[in-house]
Amino acid sequence: MLDLDRGKRDLDDDPDNDSGTNVGGDPGSGAATAAPWPSYDPGPFYDEMVSATGEPRGAAEALWGHSSDLGPEALSERQDAADREMRAIGVTFTVYEGSTGVDRPWPFDIIPRVMTSDEWSMVESGLVQRLNALNLFIDDVYHDQRSVSSGVVPSELVTGSPNFRRECVGVDPPGGIWAHICGSDLIRDADGTVFVLEDNLRVPSGVSYLLENRMVAKHVFPEMFRHYSIEPVDPYVGRLANMLASVSPSTGDPTIVVLTPGIYNSAYFEHAFLAQQLGVELVEGSDLVVLDDDCVYARTIDGLQKVDVIYRRIDDLYLDPEVFVPDSLLGVPGLIRAWRSGRVALVNAPGAGIADDKKVYSYVPDIIRFFLDEEPILATVPTLRCGDEDSRHFVLSNLERLVVKPANESGGYGVLVGTQATEDELAFAAKQIEDDPKKWVAQPVIPLSTAPTLCDGEIAPRHVDLRPFTLLGPEGAYVTRGGLTRVARTAGSLVVNSSQGGGSKDTWVVDTRLTSGPSGGAARSGGGGAAGAGDAAAGGAAAGDAAAGGAAAGDAAAGDAAAGTRGPEP
Amino acid sequence: MSPPTPEAPGPAEPSDPADDDQRSTESKEPTMLLARMAEAVYWAGRYLERAEGTARIVQVHTDAHVDMPVGEDVGWAPLLAIVGVDSEFAERYSQASQSGEGTEDVAAAEQDVIEFLLHGEDNPSSIQAAITSARENLRTARPVVPREAWEACNNLWLACSDNLAEADTRAGRVLWLRRVIAGCQRINGILLGTMSRDEAMSFLTIGQNLERADLTTRVLDVRSESLRPNRGDSYDVVHWMAVLRSLAAYQPYRRAMPARPQGGSTLRFLLQDDRFPRAVSACLTEARAQLKGLARAEDALDACATASLIVASAAVPHLTLGGLSEFLDEVQVALDDIHHQIDETYFRPTFVGWQTRSVAS
Repeated sequence: MLDLDRGKRDLDDDPDNDSGTNVGGDPGSGAATAAPWPSYDPGPFYDEMVSATGEPRGAAEALWGHSSDLGPEALSERQDAADREMRAIGVTFTVYEGSTGVDRPWPFDIIPRVMTSDEWSMVESGLVQRLNALNLFIDDVYHDQRSVSSGVVPSELVTGSPNFRRECVGVDPPGGIWAHICGSDLIRDADGTVFVLEDNLRVPSGVSYLLENRMVAKHVFPEMFRHYSIEPVDPYVGRLANMLASVSPSTGDPTIVVLTPGIYNSAYFEHAFLAQQLGVELVEGSDLVVLDDDCVYARTIDGLQKVDVIYRRIDDLYLDPEVFVPDSLLGVPGLIRAWRSGRVALVNAPGAGIADDKKVYSYVPDIIRFFLDEEPILATVPTLRCGDEDSRHFVLSNLERLVVKPANESGGYGVLVGTQATEDELAFAAKQIEDDPKKWVAQPVIPLSTAPTLCDGEIAPRHVDLRPFTLLGPEGAYVTRGGLTRVARTAGSLVVNSSQGGGSKDTWVVDTRLTSGPSGGAARSGGGGAAGAGDAAAGGAAAGDAAAGGAAAGDAAAGDAAAGTRGPEP
Repeated sequence: MSPPTPEAPGPAEPSDPADDDQRSTESKEPTMLLARMAEAVYWAGRYLERAEGTARIVQVHTDAHVDMPVGEDVGWAPLLAIVGVDSEFAERYSQASQSGEGTEDVAAAEQDVIEFLLHGEDNPSSIQAAITSARENLRTARPVVPREAWEACNNLWLACSDNLAEADTRAGRVLWLRRVIAGCQRINGILLGTMSRDEAMSFLTIGQNLERADLTTRVLDVRSESLRPNRGDSYDVVHWMAVLRSLAAYQPYRRAMPARPQGGSTLRFLLQDDRFPRAVSACLTEARAQLKGLARAEDALDACATASLIVASAAVPHLTLGGLSEFLDEVQVALDDIHHQIDETYFRPTFVGWQTRSVAS
């Protein structure tokens, strides 16, 4: 049924009991003679920087050494500088207190999370494979439903889903692509295996924070960038612009806009940021109008201007009051009509959400095999559908060891973590499952990996996840090099959402070939500056000046590789 | 919301040459400016200018106040009149504004007036409120203004918000006001140095210049009330120097008009000197230049020409003898009309019967 002993190092432990309280409790657990943080102990979890024996993982060695030289006080000063900069450049997110939204400075932890480019290349091909398959699936759902007739997915999964949009049936978006932008949630278990936890195919957000984190990191940690060949994240915006242009229904230079619900939306910062970076207008629903020619026009100072591509950051149901929520003021009457007639492209297309609910999630490996005839590259968390009788029995008798989730919710609503639940909560969950089993799925508790995080002047392990962004257009795919690392700021907490007090980290995908290779300009001793790093770090410093070129080359290669794994065009 | 009736989208009708011209440039580099964005940058320009202008006025008044002999003191009420918030203030501090002449009360009034003008919660025209509004508008308009300009405005807003307490002492007030002026100048510098001279920049510049002209007329209007021609004492000079200084005009005035400041020449300078950027005529010239670059600006240009004509034809020496207030009212009405025309044409258009345009395909 389910191998609940996978990642067992955690399951028998009370997660509240890990970090923080037993810091330094196991002197035998590290030969780390030069450990910069002697009391740092991630416990049973996979730590992103430190191996189980207490030594820095290869790619993290220079960072480890440098942090050691700086010491917690200097790190705290850098942290203050970073906080000030975030505030000054106005990187905020909105939290709702009652009915009013309050802008909060974006929480950013200065200690980066480091991954190697080799590992990232694997993740990247896995993400592209997944997004290709999901798009083929969505297109199939709104056309022939071969996946249903072949028995890959049950028909109720499709037609019974609240995310199935009747209005999308038979529509042919350019290239057959529906979900152009995907923000995946990745996690790592105690063995270090990377899992996809969620595919967010509707209006995933966070990429602006990814880009701003990098900028601030460069300002507060400039010397580290000389020690590493860190792959740049900036190309994302250019790739996004190209992808948006590539789905334009017009042949000339397309007019592209970003559609926002408005200045009070929690992601408004990101909407404005993206419009600014793309050099396009940021429109609200009331700025657009659909005329009798089924074209969309923007109300400009020079009159109405035809719009070709809308990067919409409004949920499906608010897009068009003529079709969906009738009293919505956010959308544009007639927008769906315009999209169906092919006069305007919507990114992501309406109806793409059919492929990112929890029940579909459990079928994704089969969907990949069916549409691409490939084995899934990235692991999927085993998911039990309570609608199946066997699964339901197993879930009900193992509730305290599982995570139970409603199949159609997002954002963590209604999730029960069995290992942390009370008797009453478990009983309530059992009743809910028995009442409406189809609504629920269950997964084993994945012990999220940890990363060193500055907490009140101390460096302590905190749980992290990772949200990379994948773009898919008719001309190919692109994955951000790295992603937005979200970090829980409370010891033991698995909640990384910024709305719940979570923070973020810059994520470095390090080209180890450049960093540790014998060549790469080894004759140069790098930019000096922060010393104290080990041999590997010296190699990294040596490659410092080659970093820009090397990283750029890596980027191009990644793009090609990504395009290579693109599935058959529907 | 029902979509407006479009022009029949049938075969393209021959358009006039100007339109063709526009299309050919657009097909190369499509730009567009949403009506809502144009309005946001226009108001950002106005609010920035209002914040800076008010800060200068308060600062100079504080300085001049020190120079005035006891008994000649004009008090703090004129500041309220310049900003146009006398009634709001009266509502908030009904006792303070009505009370007598005693030093205790004057001091109290000073504190109240300053606080009200700088950051009074009930004062929508306070400096802090203007900075907040400028920031909100720039935030809306982020996609069309340089990132640095938004950041500078955000920083100004943070610095002012974080130091409100400082503003309530005379010494701290000077620093706070200087910060406002410097912050606004910094934003202006960034805009001048890094923003494309596009339509968004035009609207921002127009907003700034209309606000500037308006502020200059307000200063003149209020100050003229205390003007008593031919009094001839040394406080006349102090008075007119304060007027000039509050518009950053003292030094330019000195260079342009070697005579020591007096009513007639000050008025002429602040109304009609085309070389000084805060003179009403110079503001109007700049607004007109920007409008000329915009399509469909005929009505706004007409309103602009009317205002310029009123200012240019002012019989300045006679105005010092009487009728200045009426004249300035006339100018303000004309300025309002320019705003009105811009608002109607660009920010609130109905779009009915408009030629739709698309980027050449």
